[in-house]
Amino acid sequence: MHELVRNRVLFLMLLPALLFFLINSYFPMVGVYYAFTQFDFNYGLFDAPFVGLQNFEFLWKSGTLVRLTLNTIGYNLAFIVLGNVIAIACAILLSELRSKWFKKLTQSIMFLPYFVSFVILSVIVYNVFNYDSGFFNTLLAQFGAGPVDVYSKPVVWIFLIILFYLWKNLGYSMVIYLAAITGISEEYYEAAKIDGAHIFQRIWYITVPMLKSTFVVLLLFSLGSIMKGQFDLFYQLIGNNGLLYNTTDILDTYVFRSLKVTFDIGMATAAGLYQSLFGFVLIMTVNYIIRKINDDYALF
Amino acid sequence: MEKKAGKRRLALLAALLSVTMVAGCGGSNNAGNAGNTGGATNSGSGSEEAGASGSNAGTGEAAQPGIDTSKKVELQFYMLGDGPKDLPDIEAEINKMAAEELNATVKFNYTSWTDWDQKYKLLLSSGQAIDLIFTADWTQYQSYAKRGAFLPLDDLLPKAAPELQKFVPEPMWEDVKVDGKIYTVPATYKEYVTNGFVWREDLRKKYNLPKPTDLVSYEAYMEGIRQNEPDLMPASFNSDVKNNLHYIYTELNKMVGALPYGMGVKYESPTEVYTYWGSEEHKEELKIMKRWQDNGYIPKNVLNIKDTMQDPLTSGKAASMFGDNPTRYNDMVISVSTTHPDWELGYYPFGLTTGYATPVHPVHNGFAIPKSSKNPERALAFYEKLVLDKRYNLLTQYGVEGKNYTVEDGYYKLVGTSQTNGFTREGMNGWAWRNPEYMLFDKSFDGVKAIFDELDKIQKPDLFLGFAEDYTSYQAEKAALEQVEKQYLYPLQAGLVEDVDKGLETFMQKAKQAGLDKIQAEWTKQWNAYTAEKGIK
Repeated sequence: MHELVRNRVLFLMLLPALLFFLINSYFPMVGVYYAFTQFDFNYGLFDAPFVGLQNFEFLWKSGTLVRLTLNTIGYNLAFIVLGNVIAIACAILLSELRSKWFKKLTQSIMFLPYFVSFVILSVIVYNVFNYDSGFFNTLLAQFGAGPVDVYSKPVVWIFLIILFYLWKNLGYSMVIYLAAITGISEEYYEAAKIDGAHIFQRIWYITVPMLKSTFVVLLLFSLGSIMKGQFDLFYQLIGNNGLLYNTTDILDTYVFRSLKVTFDIGMATAAGLYQSLFGFVLIMTVNYIIRKINDDYALF
Repeated sequence: MEKKAGKRRLALLAALLSVTMVAGCGGSNNAGNAGNTGGATNSGSGSEEAGASGSNAGTGEAAQPGIDTSKKVELQFYMLGDGPKDLPDIEAEINKMAAEELNATVKFNYTSWTDWDQKYKLLLSSGQAIDLIFTADWTQYQSYAKRGAFLPLDDLLPKAAPELQKFVPEPMWEDVKVDGKIYTVPATYKEYVTNGFVWREDLRKKYNLPKPTDLVSYEAYMEGIRQNEPDLMPASFNSDVKNNLHYIYTELNKMVGALPYGMGVKYESPTEVYTYWGSEEHKEELKIMKRWQDNGYIPKNVLNIKDTMQDPLTSGKAASMFGDNPTRYNDMVISVSTTHPDWELGYYPFGLTTGYATPVHPVHNGFAIPKSSKNPERALAFYEKLVLDKRYNLLTQYGVEGKNYTVEDGYYKLVGTSQTNGFTREGMNGWAWRNPEYMLFDKSFDGVKAIFDELDKIQKPDLFLGFAEDYTSYQAEKAALEQVEKQYLYPLQAGLVEDVDKGLETFMQKAKQAGLDKIQAEWTKQWNAYTAEKGIK
């Protein structure tokens, strides 16, 4: 109580944020109950018949849950690891550049794809790779090689999807690291220079360690949503092409397709709950491990 | 993230709604009381209107017999697609009349076509107060009705819309019944949405190709195009191969309709249900598609094509369509006649090949009152006006006469072009409240009418659409099967699998794993009950 009175202004300032999360994140959790009921127009949420785990059934009914989970996690891991490593590398390179206009220009060009919508991306990709008149095959023909049907080769798409994800998001994550680098005091570098450290040593012993905390925070944030796939990316690039599903189907696209035919709030909630629960367990575990290793970097 | 946020919002909405529902109950009680006490003054204004219209002055209460219009209400009206630009003007006009005659105003809402199916489901399941909503077989009217999303209209009709009840023929009311109850007001306009071959007649003549009248001649036509016009796609297809290859093929093969789950029912023997998937008949279809694929009639990347079916044809990228309905064919003719007057399109309805054509089933266009409606009586009375009152009907179908359209020799004529005019013909997507007595047609529609007349001679009733499937008992299996179908059957249907027999085997095995047998058994049971109930033999 004493605490509340003494810091009442601070608590007052906290109130809007608390309310925000209460209304947007905690109250709606009541809806989780939908996952265990049979949705019916005649009943409200709590008098609908309770059906236990029946709503979760469709997830494993076609025998693909394991593959879907692995695909989802696999892609997201690739996105997180590659995305961050390349973003850090680019950020460091850019920060070492002296020419101001060149730096700005590069940064803008890298940022630009972030604003390209996935729908447009899918059209671009289709026009590059389609069999009959795509850019890629026309190019091959110029060199006298035979056409390749990219849209029937599942393995290729693993790389293509990762590539397009990076292309689209690199600029954005790089800016975060660039900001972190700008925050590093010049004095460290000057001191290192006087001590005779060359540029690679300065990067390796000053910049990289200073970025570690930013990296860990971003990592933890993204791990929390590791079960949530990039729906737009996969849905737009792959769409109806069942030939590619083995390597490109993720939970989100699967759930979307299933529930397009039978819209059922119960089943949709069940799928969402599965994703959230998995993400929750994962983030708790990783956070626990990080806290064990170094308490300062843990999120909570 | 976006999806998660959406789900949160949905859940929040549900939570809020349950609160407002409690509040709403109390509210409407109070309002009811207020209405009763204020009845004397309100009925005064009511009789004034009645006096103006003359005959009803004696009955006093209100212009509409049977329903209480003493309280002013706003009706929420929901239609799919996009509303016309001039909608606010039309809405104001309509509201002026409705306020006077029914003491109600209407808000016309549109879902837009993007993700309309998700939005439609949300509108019905979130409990939002809606008074009138569009229904069709393709919005799954039967399933929603069966699951209790709509109000039964049987008792409401004689009270709130007696004229409308008389206007719609009795057999139509029978046809839209689900479990013995009426849930939607069907449209009475008779049309055909059956398919037919569409091709480039100018090219056919130029290269002296056979006229597509069946599968064999159509294939010969495509072959001729491939040889003579290598840069042209022989036919237009897109990623929805189930609809633009499979169902068109089965229509030519005299199936009763777009049957789900690989069921097979022939029109001549509707009580004999068999398993189409995996049968010799199915294998034959897949082998034909394989041949089409190998010969280059179906584009190799068909599963990734997102164009509409008609665009490639009207823009000169493709030379035919496997199947399209007369009205859409006519639209293509009109669009081609302005952009490429030297082209010519040909059409051959499947009905002439199969020997019968089915006019649309009454459930194809209709309006229902969702369970969440607060003013079902007024909504129905308003809908009656929309259909039967010429002023309401013409205004909502064609806009303002003189400003949006003119009538010349009995034909409808758009003022200006579709770009400049804020209300094109049937701009409000008013397919459901078309009234054949008031309907105006563009001169170019004569072509469609000619086809309709031809089909009228061989018409037979649609057997399939009245069937209301209830999939609650196999919901999980249905969802799982959808996956298997997309992953293993779509490529087969597009002729993309090298070994058809093996591909079909894999698909069948996966489908069985997803619970195909259970679905088919349950579906067959329901179908048999339906044919028995309707006396279909």
